[in-house]
Amino acid sequence: MGALSNWLSRRDVRRRATLGRDVVLRGTIWMRGEGRVSLGDGVVIDGSLAPIELHAHEGAEIVVGDGARIDGGTSIESRQRVHLGARVRVGAFCKILDNHYHRPQGDHRREVPRSSPVDVEDDVTLGARVVLLPGAQVGRGSVVSPGTVVTRRVPAFSHVVGFPASVRGMS
Amino acid sequence: MILGRDTLRRAYGIARARLLFRGCTLGHRVWALGDVRVRREGAITLGNQVFFLEGPIASELICHRGAHVRVGDQTGFNYGVSIEAHDSVEIGSRCLIASMVRITDRGARRTAPVRIEDDVWIGHGAILEPGVTIGKGAVVSAGSVVTTDVPAGRLALGNPARMLPLETVTTSRERA
Repeated sequence: MGALSNWLSRRDVRRRATLGRDVVLRGTIWMRGEGRVSLGDGVVIDGSLAPIELHAHEGAEIVVGDGARIDGGTSIESRQRVHLGARVRVGAFCKILDNHYHRPQGDHRREVPRSSPVDVEDDVTLGARVVLLPGAQVGRGSVVSPGTVVTRRVPAFSHVVGFPASVRGMS
Repeated sequence: MILGRDTLRRAYGIARARLLFRGCTLGHRVWALGDVRVRREGAITLGNQVFFLEGPIASELICHRGAHVRVGDQTGFNYGVSIEAHDSVEIGSRCLIASMVRITDRGARRTAPVRIEDDVWIGHGAILEPGVTIGKGAVVSAGSVVTTDVPAGRLALGNPARMLPLETVTTSRERA
């Protein structure tokens, strides 16, 4: 039952996403929404530890660059655009969102606010449990330590630690 | 069509919740499209229209012997939420609990009740330590670790969480 549903979930990804050459899919990959998902050449999506969610709402897109690797338990939700560059490594149980889905004020909670695209440039490493909130832009070659929450622009080749995130030297 | 797809899904969710939460005190129209692992040794009370969304990871609701978990009306849970009560976990009405949130009233050092008041929004992956109270209308930012009480209408952000006015998040979002 488990192996079959895993296989079915991966078949769903192979049918609905735009795939490059030599894409490796493992474990369970939950694909939801009517949006566009494109995976570059040699992308590895390894959902064997825990299921991975790729959720592109209608009209939205998730673009994963060549040679990127996504580990188990990670969830990517896009209402506009989430872009991961080439050779990006995404650790286990990361969450990447381009919309907050709710407004902070109690009386407007059910309104969905505007999206701000998330952009992770080439050669970035995201540790486990990193959260990228709407508007996060991680510059080329940066390293984001495990558990960090990023909401804004991180300069290229920096090492980001903690929450609130701060830059600790260069990667 | 009188019975739309959403209506059917909702009906399925209600039936599913009845099955998942058997033995718990349920309000009307509690629905669960997601997977929830329930361990009920104490008292679990879910208010009207409480809901559990579908997602890749199952939620868990554990209530040990002699403990209670109480959830108010229209409160919603996303996937992967973990709630464990050894004494008391109380969640108010109209709260939004995002994915992968962990709430427990027992830590390494102590057991103390956790209370979440009405209209609270807890972001993805936040962790609440034992003994904290989240005031009415407060927001806990994604990934925060809350170690102290959060006053009503404030934003808790960081590890450990610091309190900021709610407007901080609004302005940065409108600017983006």
